Amino acid sequence: SAPCFSNGLPKPTNVTFSSVNMKNVLQWNSPESLRGAEVVYTVQYLIYGQKRWLNKSECRNINRTSCDLSYETYDHEEQYYGRVKAIWGKHCSKWAETERFNPWLETQIGPPVVALTPGEKSISVVLTAPQKWKRNAEDTSISMHQIYPNMKYNVSIYNSKTSKKWYKFVINYTLELSLLESETLYCISVQVYVPGPLRKTKPSEKQCITTLKDKTSELKV
Amino acid sequence: LRRCLISMDIHHMEKSFQGIKTAVQAKDSFQNITILSASETLYNITSSDVCCMTKDVLQFYVDKVFRNHEESDPRIQRGLSTIANSFLHIRNALEQCRSQKNCYCRKETTSKFQLIVRNYEQMEVKAAAIKSLGELDILLSWISRNYQPKATT
Repeated sequence: SAPCFSNGLPKPTNVTFSSVNMKNVLQWNSPESLRGAEVVYTVQYLIYGQKRWLNKSECRNINRTSCDLSYETYDHEEQYYGRVKAIWGKHCSKWAETERFNPWLETQIGPPVVALTPGEKSISVVLTAPQKWKRNAEDTSISMHQIYPNMKYNVSIYNSKTSKKWYKFVINYTLELSLLESETLYCISVQVYVPGPLRKTKPSEKQCITTLKDKTSELKV
Repeated sequence: LRRCLISMDIHHMEKSFQGIKTAVQAKDSFQNITILSASETLYNITSSDVCCMTKDVLQFYVDKVFRNHEESDPRIQRGLSTIANSFLHIRNALEQCRSQKNCYCRKETTSKFQLIVRNYEQMEVKAAAIKSLGELDILLSWISRNYQPKATT
C-alpha cells in the first residue's frame, strides 16, 4: 500500500485479543477524534521471540475494527503480540500494540454440549467438551479437554416447582441426577472449570426438561 | 515429575504471576528475543527428562533471575517472592530426588537447558532478568501440564 506519513494521527485504542476456544480475534477502538472519518486500519502480528512483525494481508486497509488472527496464532504454546495503525488519506498513526497474549492462559473456554434424558425421578446428563477452533473444517477436532486435562464441569440444576437451585461438580462426561420429583420441569446449565489461574468460561444456555410420569403412582389408583 | 512425586501448589504460583504478568512483561522491551525458547527447549522434553529440566530451570531462576532483579513495586515484589519461595521448596525437593537417582539428566536435556542459559547470558543482566520473569507464565504452564494427569480421550 502507498506509504503514509506518520505525523500525529491518533492511534487506535484498547487493542486486545478476544479469544474463545482459541479463536483469537484482534479488536480495537477507533481513535476518538476520528470517529466518522473515512479511516482504515492495517494489522500486523508478532510471534514472541521471533525477529519480524508479519503482515496479515486480509487485514490491510480495512474499515472494520477487528481482525481474525486465529490461523496465525494457532499454536497455543506460543505467545503473540498484535498491533494496528490507523490510516486516513496520506496520514497514518503510530502502531498501537496489545500486551503479550498467551492463548493457553487467556482463551475463554466455551460451554460444553449438554444432552439431557429424563427418567421418572432422574435426569441423565451427558457432556461433550468444547472444541478448539479449527483452521479447516475437515481438520481433526481437538477437544479443549485434551488441552486442559484437569478440566471439570460445574452443573447447576434448578427445580422450577420449588425454585430450589443446587450445583454438582463433575469430572468426567456423565452425571445421573437422581431422587428428583416426577413430572417436574428442571432447568440445567453447565460451565467448564479449569483449576489454576483465573480463566474466563462461558456457561451453556439453560436447558429445561420435564421428568416423566411416575408409573408406580398410576398402579396405586 | 511423576517419578519424583513432590508436593507443590502450582496453581498458587500461577495465580501469583497472573496478577503481575502484565506489569512485568511491560518492562521487557525486547519482544523479538526469548530466553526460554519454549518450543526448542521445554516443549521438546520427554516425560522422563521433566524432573531434571525442572530442577535445572528452577535452580537457574533462583540463582540468576531472582537474584539479578531489583523490584521497586511492592505488589510485584510480593508476587515474585511468593514464586521464588515456591521454587526454592521445589528445587530442594528435586535435589533430594536426584540424590536418590530418580532425577537423571540425559545429555540431550542438559544441552537444551544450556541453550536457555546462553540466551540469558547474551543479554544485559538486568534486561535478561526482567525478560525471564516475564516468561514465568511459559514456565509455570509447562510445569502445570507435566504435573497434572494426562487426559483420557
